[in-house]
Amino acid sequence: MILSTTDAVSGRTIVETIGLVRGSSVRSAHVGRDVLAKLKNLVGGEVTEYTKLLAESREQALDRMVEEARARGADAIVGLRFMSSDIGDDAAEMLAYGTAVRLG
Amino acid sequence: MRNEREPTRDELLAMAYVDGELSAEGRAELESRLGQSPELRREVSELKELELLARAAAPKEPMDHEWAALAKDPVQRAALGLGWTLLIVGFLGLSALGLWQLFRSDAPLALKLLVPALLLGGALLLGATLRARLRTLPLDPYRKVQR
Repeated sequence: MILSTTDAVSGRTIVETIGLVRGSSVRSAHVGRDVLAKLKNLVGGEVTEYTKLLAESREQALDRMVEEARARGADAIVGLRFMSSDIGDDAAEMLAYGTAVRLG
Repeated sequence: MRNEREPTRDELLAMAYVDGELSAEGRAELESRLGQSPELRREVSELKELELLARAAAPKEPMDHEWAALAKDPVQRAALGLGWTLLIVGFLGLSALGLWQLFRSDAPLALKLLVPALLLGGALLLGATLRARLRTLPLDPYRKVQR
């Protein structure tokens, strides 16, 4: 599965547009990680607990999007985008979406 | 001398599934078997974890080495261990003391019953949620993603 943030795949021709595919994930850290993250907020620097949380959500959302594209017989996803929003306190939501296509 | 065993048919199927190499029928068949076979569920989850680790493979950053050194540092370990212990003991102790004071006070009986009911309800819900998380944790490949 080729993932591209551009609207085309270099050197390949899009022969069919299948449509929108997306995957989302909302994850939270356990209370122990949250406590340490709050303390890091006081002293500054990278809050690795939340970096990890966001990365977990990103990878899961990406995989769900790819799964949908695969199930619909796509060869590639073009115009891939990520979006995040705040669902709840200390939870990370990531949405990955793009257009599934078949390549010639 | 080879000490690696040949992968079983299910292991090969799980690899093909995670790599997206199965046909639509093959995927549907394996997915229906996932519901019945805990071993297959675990196998797919472990392979997915491996795939995620390979995807996220990146050079170590200078700060990573410092974090690793800090994790082994006795002062840091002692501070964290003692900190967590005192926090938990303090929280549980204060809760118990609060309950004890409530029971000894002249508060209405309804309050003496409702407050423990509230706490017990919360504890039961937390316990059930924790149980569900612990059951699904080994099948969550994303827990090893670092950044």
